[in-house]
Amino acid sequence: MNFFAQIGILLRKELVLELRMGYAISGILLYVLSTVFIVYAAFFQGVNSPMLWVTLFWIIMLFASVNAIVKSFVQENGARQLYYYGLLDPLAVIVSKMIYNISLLFFLSLLTWAAMAFIVGNKVEEFSAFLLALFLGSAGFSILFTFVAAISSKADNNSTLLAILSFPLVIPILMTLIKLSVVATGMLEDTGISKDIGILVAIDLVLAGLTLVLYPFLWRD
Amino acid sequence: MIRQSWWKILAVVILVYTILAGMLIPLKPGIAEVTPRALQAGTEVELTVTGYNSYYSKAKNELRAWLKLKGDVVLKAARIEVLNDRTMKLHFILPQYLPSDSKDDACSLILDSPIDGAIVLPEGIALTQDSVNLLEGKKLWSVDKMEELNAGPKLTFPYRSVLYESIRNQYFHVPLWFAMIFLFLFSVNFSIRYLRTYDPDADQRTLALNRAGFVFGLLGTVTGAIWAKYTWGAFWSWDVKQNMTAVALLIYSAYFILRGAFQDEEKKARLSAVYNIFAFAALIPLLFVIPRMTDSLHPGNGGNPAFGGEDLDNTMRMVFYPAGIGWTLLGFWVASVAYRVEKLQQRLLDA
Repeated sequence: MNFFAQIGILLRKELVLELRMGYAISGILLYVLSTVFIVYAAFFQGVNSPMLWVTLFWIIMLFASVNAIVKSFVQENGARQLYYYGLLDPLAVIVSKMIYNISLLFFLSLLTWAAMAFIVGNKVEEFSAFLLALFLGSAGFSILFTFVAAISSKADNNSTLLAILSFPLVIPILMTLIKLSVVATGMLEDTGISKDIGILVAIDLVLAGLTLVLYPFLWRD
Repeated sequence: MIRQSWWKILAVVILVYTILAGMLIPLKPGIAEVTPRALQAGTEVELTVTGYNSYYSKAKNELRAWLKLKGDVVLKAARIEVLNDRTMKLHFILPQYLPSDSKDDACSLILDSPIDGAIVLPEGIALTQDSVNLLEGKKLWSVDKMEELNAGPKLTFPYRSVLYESIRNQYFHVPLWFAMIFLFLFSVNFSIRYLRTYDPDADQRTLALNRAGFVFGLLGTVTGAIWAKYTWGAFWSWDVKQNMTAVALLIYSAYFILRGAFQDEEKKARLSAVYNIFAFAALIPLLFVIPRMTDSLHPGNGGNPAFGGEDLDNTMRMVFYPAGIGWTLLGFWVASVAYRVEKLQQRLLDA
């Protein structure tokens, strides 16, 4: 079975597992909705500035992503993972997890956007730019968090470790994303937007490359 | 190599030299202040010049001064009155018209003394005239010519506005970062070696190099913050370079936390080696790519010129380059001590 066929099968498995154990995905959805509602309730004067809207959006996304991804290595126990590694290429396992997490986070970010628009009000004016920011953001978050979750799942108290290890690494991505999204709200004029996209793509590629190089040393126990 | 002592002696000698030379060599004489800054054509003016590190009274009768406009048009001071080493009064008799086709112009002030050398205050003084007469102005200003200037004292550091005496931090702040980068680079090298050979010794070396590198990074940040206080106005101004530095230090702190999370030695060594490579790959864009692409106050970033040219003259190079070598050697010395401590602790645990 070649590499891509393996990835296809693993992706199908992830999806089937996700749908079968419905509580994981519905838990995340409820998490997003309740956080957005808390934001709405806490800012009782309304979120008027686009800057604040964008910042809140990405902070909600950040924590929702951590919660969504931390389970990607936790929900399956060690023995079953060992079974995958024996049966399939370990790289196919991590690549399929990354692809799955990118699509999950992208879906989640669209949902957060919809929830924010419904409850708090929509501030985005340039839809294509914001969609691009959402995609690059989900890619960056999921690559980084998948890799760090792979490290922290080896330790006992792994959700704390995930936050400690990944938050410093996520700051540059988050700062660029906020800048890009503020441009998409039409608050700022386009000042070197292509440079920011370039930075994000470069960070994503570097993270993905490193994950592929380093994962073979990680999975063995 | 670790047990040999010649390179440690070399480090001490170089650092003593750089600290002594860096702290004792004076700044080049400069102009701290000139009043008034706005002059009216057709009047006789008295400029009070306050010098920095200057010796006006030593060169009393050989002092010369010019006001210089664009295109090498100069006006020599009619009379110079020296009050003391740091203060003198220049008397200029400004002609009725300026050699300029507008009512306002700016000029620079040039001082020359056999002791202090030639000092220029660029574009610091405004000139105004009531009516424009270009031809007459050119004639009036062509009386004086620029004369041969004196070379200043040889062994000095540049006198630069904003920086002033804090220019000496160049021998601490920058070499500390050099040393940190070298230490982290070697630690990555040992991480790669660990993943190839699974030799616990390589892991201990990585840990020691990272410990030393982290301390040097902290010192680099602190010296940078002190420098920022005197040049940018605050210890921490949320500049992108400072933010990314903080992020880089957080990433390396997470390395030490990660090591604490594992009981099993082999697992600890393997996972921290993987994370260390990842951290170094994140460090380079954080410190050297992102700050260059956004607005920053730091030299070499956000379109600012890097240190060099007039900021880094040959006297400074004579101190700056050895300082880089000296601090790097000291960093490796610290790392080698940390490594031996780690080894000894391991031996105690095994016994």
